[in-house]
Amino acid sequence: MKMFENILLPISSEFYPRNAMERSVFLAEKFGSRIKIIYIIEEKTLEKADKITDVYRTHYEKEETEVEIEHEYLSAADRIIFDDAKEFFEKRGIDFQRKVVKGQFSDAIREEMEREHYDLVLMGFEKGCLLHYRIIDNSYAPIWIESAEKGREIILAVCSNLAPNLKVPEMGEKLSKSLGWELHMIYIVDMQDNVAVDEQGQRSGRKSESELIDAGKEFIREMGNKGIDVKMVKGSIEKETIRAAREVGAGLVIVGREQKRTGIMGIYAKTVRKRLVEKCNYSILLTN
Amino acid sequence: MEKKKDEENSFSRWNALSILVAFSVLAVFLVSPSPSGISHEGWLMIGILLMAIILWITTPIPIAVTGFLIMVMQPVVGAAKAEEVFHSFGNQAVFFLIGVFIIAGAVEKHGLHRRIALKFLGRFEKSPRAFTFGIMLASAFLSFIMPAHGVAALLLPIVVSILIAMKAIPRQSNFGKVSMLAIAYGCSIGSLGTPIGGARNALAIGILANEGIRISFLEWMKYSMPVVVMAIPAVWLILQVAFPIEVRDVSDARREIEKQVGEMGSMKRDEWVVSAVLAITAILWIFFSSPEYLGLGVVALLGSALLFFTGSISWEDVEKRVPWGIILLYGGAITLGVGMNSTGAGSWIAGAMLNAAGNNIYLVILSLILFTVLLTNVMSNVGAVATLLPIALGVASEFSEISPLLAAMIVALSGGFAFLLVISTPANAITYSSGYFSTRDLLKAGGVVNVVCMAIIFAVAVIYWRGALGI
Repeated sequence: MKMFENILLPISSEFYPRNAMERSVFLAEKFGSRIKIIYIIEEKTLEKADKITDVYRTHYEKEETEVEIEHEYLSAADRIIFDDAKEFFEKRGIDFQRKVVKGQFSDAIREEMEREHYDLVLMGFEKGCLLHYRIIDNSYAPIWIESAEKGREIILAVCSNLAPNLKVPEMGEKLSKSLGWELHMIYIVDMQDNVAVDEQGQRSGRKSESELIDAGKEFIREMGNKGIDVKMVKGSIEKETIRAAREVGAGLVIVGREQKRTGIMGIYAKTVRKRLVEKCNYSILLTN
Repeated sequence: MEKKKDEENSFSRWNALSILVAFSVLAVFLVSPSPSGISHEGWLMIGILLMAIILWITTPIPIAVTGFLIMVMQPVVGAAKAEEVFHSFGNQAVFFLIGVFIIAGAVEKHGLHRRIALKFLGRFEKSPRAFTFGIMLASAFLSFIMPAHGVAALLLPIVVSILIAMKAIPRQSNFGKVSMLAIAYGCSIGSLGTPIGGARNALAIGILANEGIRISFLEWMKYSMPVVVMAIPAVWLILQVAFPIEVRDVSDARREIEKQVGEMGSMKRDEWVVSAVLAITAILWIFFSSPEYLGLGVVALLGSALLFFTGSISWEDVEKRVPWGIILLYGGAITLGVGMNSTGAGSWIAGAMLNAAGNNIYLVILSLILFTVLLTNVMSNVGAVATLLPIALGVASEFSEISPLLAAMIVALSGGFAFLLVISTPANAITYSSGYFSTRDLLKAGGVVNVVCMAIIFAVAVIYWRGALGI
C-alpha cells in the first residue's frame, strides 16, 4: 500500500496556503496520491462579523452582507484556488477532486475524514487567524503542516521521554527512503515533566533525571541497531525541537503524540503540538 | 462535536462569569461608603460605569442590552430617579440618529451608494497605488453621508470582486491587504467628518446639548475636517510602507469596474429622488441645523419624511434597515453621560486624574486621547465615548484651560480611532471576513496608524481648535 494514497487538502476561506498546494503536488508525484481539496467557508469569521456588527446593523442587512460575502468566497475559490489547483494538478496528471463546504475548519475536516479515509491531512497554518485548529490534537491521520520557510532536504524526527516513540522513527525512516531526504533524529529528555510515556501512551510516575537519561540511552541503542544515529539533548521539547530544526535547517520535523503536562497549577491552554506549530518556522508532520 | 459542545459550554460559563463580575463590582459600590468629595449617587454612577465597561468589553450580552441596563440600574440602585433617566433619553440627537438610519436605508435600498462608490473608484484606476487611495477616499466620503459600517459592508464585495478579477491571492497579496485595510481605516476616519458617520458623534452632540452647548452640522465639520484631511493621506502612506504593493497593472480592475457599472445601467427614478432628498437634507443640515433654526434631529426626520412622500422608501424598508438596538445603546450611553455629570462623578474622576497627571494642559489632552484610543479599541466606540465623555467634561470643569467643547471633541474624534483589532469596530470585522488580511496585519498597521492619528488629533487640538478657533 502506498504511503500517502489519499491526501486531504483543507483550505479555509480565512486563509489560503498556496505553499501547501505546492507541497501536495510534490507528495502526489512521489507517492502517486489522490488529492481532495475541500474549501471551507469559515462560519466562525462570518459569526464574528455578525456579532461585532450586532447592534449597528439589522438582521436583514447582516444576511444581505453574508450572502454577498459567501458569493465572493465562492468566486475566490473558483477563480483563484481551484484555478491554481487545475494549474498545479491537471498539467501533471495528478488525480484531484474538489468540494466546497460551509462550517468550522476543524469540524469540516473531521466530518470529511469520517466520510472517507485519508492517509494524510496537508494544510497551512497562520497564527493571525480566528481559526482554532482543534484538528491538530484529534485527527486519526497524520497532519502535515506546511510552513512558508523552505528547509533543506532533511527530516528531523523528534523522540522524547514524553512520547511512545513508535510512529515517529518508523515514519522518519519511511519518508527518508521515499523522498531521499537525510534523516536526523533527536531524543529529548524533558525534565519540565519528568515522567516516561510507554508504548501505549501511558504516563509513568515521576522519575529521576538519571532514570530518564538511561531510558533515552536504551532507545538510542535500539535505533543504533537499526543503523540510525540519535542525538540526546536535555531541555524542553518545544525549545529543543525548534533549536534542532534551526540548526539542521529541517525541511520537515516529525513529532509524535507528546503527553507533556505543564502550566500554572497543571492548567495548560495549549498542547505541545500547538505550541510547536505556532513557534516552529519549519514544516511539521504530526503523527498519531 | 463533543469538543465543540465543551467550547460552547465554556463560552456560556465565561458569559456568566462576566455578568457576575460586572454586578459584583456594582454591588461593592452599593454597599461601600462613598469617599469624601463625591455624593453617594455619584459613587453609584461610577459603579454603573464600571459595570457597563465590563459588559461592553466582555460582551456576554448584546451591547444594546448593556445600554438599557444602564438606564434600569440607575433607579434600581438609587443613583437617579426613573423620570430623570428617561428624560435625558428624549434628546433630539436620538431622533437625528433615527432619521439618519432611514435616509441611509433608502440609499442602500436603491444602490445609490454602490453607484457613488464605483464612480469614485473609476476615477482612480490609473495605478494600483492610486486605486487604493481611491478606495480610501470612497470609504471616507461615503462615511460622511451614511453610517461607516454600512459603507464597509457595501465596499467589501465590490473591492473583493475586483481583487479576485486581478487574481490577488488572499493573505499573500499586499495589494489585497492595502485595499481591504483602506476600506476599514477609510470608513473609521471618514466617520469623524460629519455627525452622520458614527453614533458616537451624535452622542457627543447630545451630551454637549445637555450642558447647554449646541453644535450644528457645519460646526461639527469645521472642527472635524482638518483631522480627516490630514489622517487620510497619512494613513494611506503608512499602508503603502507597511505592505508594499506588488501589483503593477490594474487593467483587470478597470474592466471589473466597467462591468459592474454596466450591470447597474443608468440612474433610475428612485436613485434620482434619493439623491435629491439627500442633497436637500445635506443643505438643510449645513445651513439650518444650528439651534436657532431647526436643529439636527428635525432636519433628519424631514429628510426621512420626504422619502416617504416620494415613495422611495416604505415602512417595511425601515423595519428592515433601521437597527433599533443602536437607539437603545445610544439612549443608555447618553443617560450614563448625563448621570455622571449631574451627580458630579465625572468631575470626581477627572479631579483624581488631574492629580495624577498634573496641571500640564498638553499632558491632560494627551491623556484624554490615549485613554479614549485604548478604550475604543477594546469595546464599542459608542461605549468608549459614553464612558470617557463625562470624565472629559469633568476635566473641563476642573481645569479652566480646557473648555467642555474642546474636551468633548477630543474624546468624540479619538473614539473613532479603532484600528487595532478585529473586534474594535464593525468596519474592521466586516473587512476581515474578506480573508485578505490577518489579525497580525491589522495589529501591525493599526499600531502605527493609531500613533499617527493620535499625533494628528493632538496637533489639531492644540494648534487649530484651541489656538486658531479658541475653543
